[in-house]
Amino acid sequence: MIQFQQVSKRYRGGFDALKNLSFEIPTGELVFLAGHSGAGKSTILKLVAGIERPTGGAVLVNGQNVGSMRRGSIPFVRRHIGLIFQDHKILFDRSVYDNVRLPLDIIGFESHEARRRVLAALDKVGLAGKEKLNPIALSGGEQQRLCIARAVVHRPAILLADEPTANLDRDYAHDILELFKSFHQVGVTLVISAHDETLMADYGRRILRLKNGQFTA
Amino acid sequence: MKNEFRQHWFAFRRTLAGMLRQPLTSLLNLLVIAIAAAFPLALWLVVTSLADVAGHLPVEPQITVFLRSSATPGEIQALRALEGSDTRIAKHRFVPKDEALKEMQQSSGFGDLLAGLPDNPLPDAIIFTAKENHAAGLEALQKELAAKPGVEEVQLDSAWARRLERLVALGRAVFQAVVALLATALVLITGNTIRMQILTRQEEIEVSKLIGATDAFIRRPFIHFAAAQGLLGGALASAIVWLALRWLNPAVRDLATAYGQQFELQSPGLQSLGVVCTATTLLCLVGAWLAVWRHLRRHL
Repeated sequence: MIQFQQVSKRYRGGFDALKNLSFEIPTGELVFLAGHSGAGKSTILKLVAGIERPTGGAVLVNGQNVGSMRRGSIPFVRRHIGLIFQDHKILFDRSVYDNVRLPLDIIGFESHEARRRVLAALDKVGLAGKEKLNPIALSGGEQQRLCIARAVVHRPAILLADEPTANLDRDYAHDILELFKSFHQVGVTLVISAHDETLMADYGRRILRLKNGQFTA
Repeated sequence: MKNEFRQHWFAFRRTLAGMLRQPLTSLLNLLVIAIAAAFPLALWLVVTSLADVAGHLPVEPQITVFLRSSATPGEIQALRALEGSDTRIAKHRFVPKDEALKEMQQSSGFGDLLAGLPDNPLPDAIIFTAKENHAAGLEALQKELAAKPGVEEVQLDSAWARRLERLVALGRAVFQAVVALLATALVLITGNTIRMQILTRQEEIEVSKLIGATDAFIRRPFIHFAAAQGLLGGALASAIVWLALRWLNPAVRDLATAYGQQFELQSPGLQSLGVVCTATTLLCLVGAWLAVWRHLRRHL
């Protein structure tokens, strides 16, 4: 599903975020990305979603090289991916409902079906009944759940989560990870980054450990 | 196809809602566009109205010879015989002073005034039409005629008509320059309006792009907005010009009457409404497209 072939990423100014990185994540796997901040976790996720382009190597998603793809094709790759951002990127000028609905409007869902899906997604993450609120009225954990609902509402094949458990207490973080596990059980490929490895250890999944843009053993 | 339509409808509703959410800003934007469009429209109407008048005026070279009241029938006969003897003259018409008075009473607004005079103040006149229309040749002929016995004064009638023609030509050139300038201004104004809107909606654009929005999806609401503004601005411009002409035309009519002419400025018709609205809409679209393009090309 996701394949990195000798991928390097050098940011303008000469900082090497990734150095000659190769790995593969098969369809339906749940993988953790571990490492301190600046190790290259976010960069990997950005390369998969086509938010950044690699300076060397190939990033294959579903067999397509996202790294060298035409600008106009990238949106269609992103529609198969659900993104959960470290800074949530929630829009506070509209309701919880409209935030979750945005991906469906972008894809062009019919109104009735869109409404059904939005309410189902909010129910799934435990925000049922809060669709009319402005997101500013939600707690930090609830905002995180809103972000997850928006990422899964269009039922993507791949879910990328950048530090989804940062700033959450341990119980809440476990709830979130359980939620991800339920997506994994229905066949979604998940890549979850975190700097706190103790949490991942409980799940017995593959952990890719990064340090200075390279894998550590 | 249905999907495409739904997306447009979705964007259009948001555009309308956005315009209504800031009614004052939207109205001011509209006014700026309308005024920018009203100016060339008004100029165009003035120029075409004048050109219409110029077209009906005697552009053929006429020379009016006013005779002395002391001119003898022999002298008059000698002048009238020039039609056959002088090769530069095509034809002539003798206007006795009684006829001239009648004409003047009918065509100008001075009827009452003239009726109050004890006797006819006008001289007899002969109107010559020259064969050629060269300014230099006509002036030479004018001088020769002025030197003939019995002649009081000679006027080149076509001169002001030709001046008007040139004025119209100048008006057209000014119109073209104004159109070019204001068209550019309109593109820049809309571009800037859209740029401001992009800035206030930057977060929404960023998030939309991250979750799979195409450039067309991002562009759509702005394009709708610009098209609506252009269309309404063009209509408003026509309304402004129409009102202005209603207000101006009585004064123009009076002025024309004073020159013995029937004339008024044409109001904008359906055709010019169509042309103006199409032009403003297209220019606003260009401005919006450029603004969005400038923003989008900076990010993947």
